[in-house]
Amino acid sequence: MEIIRTEKLEKIYQDNGVPVKALDDVDLTINTGDYVVIAGPSGSGKTTLLNLIGALDKPTSGKIFFESEDISKKTKKELSEIRLNKLGFIFQAYNLIPVLTAIENIEFSMMLLGVPEKERTERALAIMDELEIKELADKRPNEMSGGQQQRVAVARAIVNNPTIVLADEPTANLDSKTGSNLLDLMEQMNKEKNITFVFSSHDKQVIERAKRLIILKDGRIE
Amino acid sequence: MKLLLKLAWRNIWRNKRRSILTLTAITFATLSAVAMRGVQIGTYNVNIKNAVEMFSGYIQIQRDGYQKNPSLNKAFRITDEIRNALNTTPRIKSYTTRIHAQGLISFKDNSQGAAIFGIDPQTEKEVTHLLDRIDEGSFFNSAGSKEIVIGAKLLGNLNAEIGDTVVILSQGFDGALGNQKFIISGTAKFGSPEFDAMGVFMGIESANDLLSMYGNIHALVINLNSLDEIETVRNNLNEKISDRKLAVLSWGEVMPDLKQSIEFDNISGVFFLLILIVIVAFGILNTVLMSVTERFNEFGVTLSIGMPQLKLVYLVLMEIIFITIIGIVLGDIIGGIINYYIVQNPIELGSELGWIYEEYGFLPQIQSTMERSIFINTSITVFVISVLSSIYPLVKVYRLEPLKGIRYT
Repeated sequence: MEIIRTEKLEKIYQDNGVPVKALDDVDLTINTGDYVVIAGPSGSGKTTLLNLIGALDKPTSGKIFFESEDISKKTKKELSEIRLNKLGFIFQAYNLIPVLTAIENIEFSMMLLGVPEKERTERALAIMDELEIKELADKRPNEMSGGQQQRVAVARAIVNNPTIVLADEPTANLDSKTGSNLLDLMEQMNKEKNITFVFSSHDKQVIERAKRLIILKDGRIE
Repeated sequence: MKLLLKLAWRNIWRNKRRSILTLTAITFATLSAVAMRGVQIGTYNVNIKNAVEMFSGYIQIQRDGYQKNPSLNKAFRITDEIRNALNTTPRIKSYTTRIHAQGLISFKDNSQGAAIFGIDPQTEKEVTHLLDRIDEGSFFNSAGSKEIVIGAKLLGNLNAEIGDTVVILSQGFDGALGNQKFIISGTAKFGSPEFDAMGVFMGIESANDLLSMYGNIHALVINLNSLDEIETVRNNLNEKISDRKLAVLSWGEVMPDLKQSIEFDNISGVFFLLILIVIVAFGILNTVLMSVTERFNEFGVTLSIGMPQLKLVYLVLMEIIFITIIGIVLGDIIGGIINYYIVQNPIELGSELGWIYEEYGFLPQIQSTMERSIFINTSITVFVISVLSSIYPLVKVYRLEPLKGIRYT
């Protein structure tokens, strides 16, 4: 089933008044259960594409359909609701909220959805158990390693059962072994729970595991 | 909600030094305002009370228009209705009657203008401290005494001494001129240059005789327990006294100059405090702006995971409210302690400054008050100004795009 489809997607940035084409004529479809890696050299437009399909940015021209609905002209508030209800994000720098513990970070997105406190805790503990990070529940980000933080970030991204998880260079700050373990985990989630993952990365081990590889060069799909 | 509150609370203590600085600024603004307003209002109250109990009384009943345009003929008689009203109105401690007139006082070849006050020393001492202002000699004891007390300066101007006999000349109620001899029994310092140079106090019966008042008086002076009771008592008296030619006046109407000078001083005090609070508000603006700007990246992430923009604004607002409330509570407590200490230990003004205060009828004393309104008004003002000063940072948060936040370094 189709989750995301882009049509003639174009994104032009202004760099000191000079227009720079970050994406050019990108047509792409992502289906349920996909495990897609968007790869390409730096400046190829990977993150721009991820931001557009992640409802974080609007295209200069072209269309983005999320579950068959055109989101390219939606308001800030509508995009925010889509991100909250349908998307999970994993960032390169983990980006956990530093003053919250691991379990509170996971509960945070559920809190935004209005999930009752008791259910939040139960679900957070269940996902932590699944990702084998239950012992980190009361630790704050500065008390955890990079790998541990990224596992908590994965838990935060998938706890609301999103339609799709977008991961921007998730292994970039991790050593290869920790990165590999994290990828194992996400692959497992993809297989067992049919969670759709879209990665942007130029990490070899991420690219090697891709079920589907999209290579970008100068803003165009090769 | 609980998690959001927890997040706001913990965010405050992320940068302890900055939060403590902000807290200190808010606490300082609150305690300064509470202490300064306390001293200002406390000192006003004690001086108003002093002035009121010195001469004017809390309330006076006069013929309507007498206060603005005093005339011997604007007199009235105490009817049974008035007496009944005075005796049945709660909170009235005591009252006394007075006659006022202008005249001439002469000793040998010297004559001076005189402000004549006929008083009943027995009831007057239950209402005011006028009799305590005696400087030399003594006050007469009875309303019919042929002794008078005059201003200390007037005695000098007449080149007279205590015990000398003077002649007082005045036009009476019936228009005829009357004159009588009186013995100076003492001098008084009233703390008013005009009173000291012109004041002549005699028994009310003697004044009645001299001025042919036929039992009419010019003022009924009423004593209460506190300034707060004035409006209630005044309303009660207005309801009970049917004679519309009489006016029930508060101390502020009897002494408009004192009231105006206090009001002017009060406005300048409030203005000064507002300047102080606005300066502190800029400090708050600065720290909140810094705190918000350095978390743009984090805000970008929370927006990315779907936090509604308004909820993020609400989170930052909660942080500001938390810190403001803590600052206000601390400021109120410390300011309250300062006020309480001054209430218990008023600062006595010594030497020249104290003497100047006394000369003008003010107590040479800095007093404070624990009036609840000071704490409430200050807290509300500081709270509102703190929140207002945070509007700009909050607008920046509201306008933050998730991507700009994530990329912010």
